[in-house]
Amino acid sequence: MAFTPKTAPYSGRIHAVTLGTGDKAITIGGQNVLPFYTFDAAIEHAPKIGVEISDAAENWTVPGLAEFYAGCTTMAQRAKKAETLEGVDFVCLNFESADPNGAGRSVAACVADARAVAESCTLPLVILGSRNVEKDGQLFAALAEALQGKNVLIMSAKNENYKTVGASVALAYGQKVGAETADDINLAKQLNIMLKGMSVKPESIVMDIGTAAVGYGYEYAASTFDRIRLAALQQGDSDLQMPILAVASLDAWSVKESTATEEDEPAWGSLEERAIHMEVATAAADLTGGADAVVMRHPKAIAAVKQFITELV
Amino acid sequence: MKVTFQIRGASPVSIECTPGENLLELARRANVAMDAPCSGNGSCGKCRVKLLDGTLETVRSPHITPEEYEAGWRLACNSKVLSDCTVLVPDAAGAYRSRMKTAGLSSPEEIAIFEACQKQLKARGISFDNGFRSLDVVMDSPSLEDTMPDSERLERAVKAILAVENVRIPFAVMVKLARVLRENEFRVCVKGRWENDSFCCMEICPPDDTALVGCAMDIGTTTVTLVLADLKTGEILAKGSCGNGQIRYGADVINRIIQQGRPGGRKELRDAILEETLKPLAANLCETAGISASSILCLSIGANTTMNHLLLGLDAAPIRMEPYIPCFFRWEGLLAGDLELPANPLAPVRIAPNIGSYVGGDITAGTLASGIWDREEMSLFIDLGTNGEIVFGNRDFLMACACSAGPAFEGGDISCGMRATDGAVEAAAIDCVTMEPTLSVIGQPGQKVAGICGSGIIDMISELYRCGIINARGQFQRAGRRILRDAFGSGRYVLAFPEESETGREVSINEVDIDNFIRAKAAIFSGVDTLLRSVDMTADCIDRVYVAGGIGSGINMKNAVSIGMLPDVGTEKFRYIGNSSLSGAYAMAVSDGAYEKCVSLAANMTYLELSACPGYMDSFVAACFIPHTDRSLFSNSVQEG
Repeated sequence: MAFTPKTAPYSGRIHAVTLGTGDKAITIGGQNVLPFYTFDAAIEHAPKIGVEISDAAENWTVPGLAEFYAGCTTMAQRAKKAETLEGVDFVCLNFESADPNGAGRSVAACVADARAVAESCTLPLVILGSRNVEKDGQLFAALAEALQGKNVLIMSAKNENYKTVGASVALAYGQKVGAETADDINLAKQLNIMLKGMSVKPESIVMDIGTAAVGYGYEYAASTFDRIRLAALQQGDSDLQMPILAVASLDAWSVKESTATEEDEPAWGSLEERAIHMEVATAAADLTGGADAVVMRHPKAIAAVKQFITELV
Repeated sequence: MKVTFQIRGASPVSIECTPGENLLELARRANVAMDAPCSGNGSCGKCRVKLLDGTLETVRSPHITPEEYEAGWRLACNSKVLSDCTVLVPDAAGAYRSRMKTAGLSSPEEIAIFEACQKQLKARGISFDNGFRSLDVVMDSPSLEDTMPDSERLERAVKAILAVENVRIPFAVMVKLARVLRENEFRVCVKGRWENDSFCCMEICPPDDTALVGCAMDIGTTTVTLVLADLKTGEILAKGSCGNGQIRYGADVINRIIQQGRPGGRKELRDAILEETLKPLAANLCETAGISASSILCLSIGANTTMNHLLLGLDAAPIRMEPYIPCFFRWEGLLAGDLELPANPLAPVRIAPNIGSYVGGDITAGTLASGIWDREEMSLFIDLGTNGEIVFGNRDFLMACACSAGPAFEGGDISCGMRATDGAVEAAAIDCVTMEPTLSVIGQPGQKVAGICGSGIIDMISELYRCGIINARGQFQRAGRRILRDAFGSGRYVLAFPEESETGREVSINEVDIDNFIRAKAAIFSGVDTLLRSVDMTADCIDRVYVAGGIGSGINMKNAVSIGMLPDVGTEKFRYIGNSSLSGAYAMAVSDGAYEKCVSLAANMTYLELSACPGYMDSFVAACFIPHTDRSLFSNSVQEG
């Protein structure tokens, strides 16, 4: 008699959230099993990879990145170039220069960039803000309006500004909204409840529950991923059944392994190699924990993680 | 140079000072009670005074608006005196004032609590006997033929009455023996107590003074309450309460412990509780009861660990530092004279034992009074105070823990918070449609609103949430006449507009207050949750919940459940038992058996240190939401607005 493995899908299911429009639209989430547990149930929507395009990308000096984006001077040009990469599912625009405590770029300048990208790109767009609560309130409203009809995901509403961000992004302009918390299942759940309380549809919410570069307290992120996913699937907690997007690149590229120069740390070898390893390890850990999408930066790292996903799903 | 404090309802107080002295320090030195829960670091904004005359150098504070500053309002803690000054101490700053409140015995509810406690303990086999006796001793007057010395004469007479082998006459009695015997022509009343098989004479007095009195003290971080009880019958003779004089050194135990660590701090704090609080209150009660302090032959104390350390003048500093070790748990053999307590110097002092650095004698006394230690059913005992203490168990086991709820239940950390005294809102309801409140205010009919006490805050937050005026995070989401916003957009709900209030200032509850309160209620709920988990049980296992504490004349349990403060186990399981620390202390004073029981209870309670429980923080964050992040725990809590 043939052996029939017993499958054990969960009763809870992650919401399937669609980003973008047309034939390049992607869907994240939708599964009722733990990450890569394809033996329990089919995973219809494999985890997705987004490529980060920063408005401060001129600071990306590692040779591989500089070479890849050679000749590109605008976000639109870089995004166009990024679309050609194998394995990229969406483009993530990082408006870090809008931070008033940093370069302080105007909302209008950011909107112009976003429009230019939207005109030339076909992949779905995800927006990262300045991480300044007040500025993001204005920036997100303007971007949500400018990109109407593009079905973009705007990251993120936080505890401090979820009302303005939730209202403008999701309610007024029908975009998808991120819900960002820092490594705490309860705070993640509370923010989802508050957004739902404002009549934001659960299918319009994607969570950013926080990550960390591997080796930098990643156990906090890992346990948060585990607990949120188990609550959503096993306990059927409808306040936590939103898909998760992890911005792996920001953490992976900000630690000393990926920033210390070869002159400072001659024993550590190539800076670029180190950074790629950090990014691959971080993104792979996020996906294994339960991320339905990761944002990454380096083409080689993206290729490695794409292969990882393909082989497991 | 001189500063004069004008106080509403009292005569002005003046004090000499040197230029540049801090106004709050001066107020403390002049014994002007000023509310300073933050211990004078400028963060709480409660020590407001109005400058009437003179010059102060004041650091501007966000607690004082520019208009208020123009009108002369200053924070005492960041003001330096530059010239002769006159300042007005407003009523609001005196909300914590150590106003004494002596209850007549007319209040049947109050007496009923003690009677119930007595009945409860008797039913559980604890006799209400004690070893204290007053004896009518008649002796022959000495003569040239009968030359027995006074001491032997007294001993023989006492031996004859009690049929006892040994009679002890301590020094304090001996020194006045000759005088008292002769003044009363050798007929005296001897008051004393059995010490195993001998009798100790504690007091000798005229034959008509036969009063045998026990004094029970509940020394809370915020409030101190005393009762005098007849040791022969257990009858209550007088009861009174007042604010703990240490309040001006900080609202919670942590600030007090910091303060006592400063040079001379231990003496200041001891004086504040002993000289300014206990002695005047006890004197007042003795007068009410018509007895002399020397008739108080037994003292019992229910106090948290920090309070009993500070009263005894012990160093409390280790209590707040890991590994949180207090100086003592149980201390027997103390006499009132050792501590200069207002009683007969030979009176034994029965301190309800502590069981941990943050679970003290008030809880062991409360546990004794609640009777949960003799029941089959699983009971939860919660004492809502500055520290929330929780005991869970039955006749087979008892677990206890403490969580730092902060002073919110007693009105601290709340912009318009106050103790449960005249003018405090103690209960409230809000109309969902008009958003107008119905308030119940402590005091005579017509009493205007001065602030909100703990039970009123519970009602307000529950009603604001039910009416949809605030959301689950405590942020205002509806607009209306009573909902105002400050320059930063932070909302508040007005209970009384300035023209309606006692103080002439608006009485309101704002988002910061709500946030503080949410943390306090989350601390309680997560404490319960963690304690239950530690014994692998859930809220379903709870058969009964006893809520104690002096947060008002009673709390609305339904509201306390609907904001997620207490577990939703059905309101019929809840009992509010008032000040259980005091009723426990009362039982210990009048009953030797109750004291022994309390000591053995304490030895059998298991203390759980929440700061060492990894799950506590997580449970706390989950509870920092109205009613709770896990809404299935509070399915009855709904928003109607």
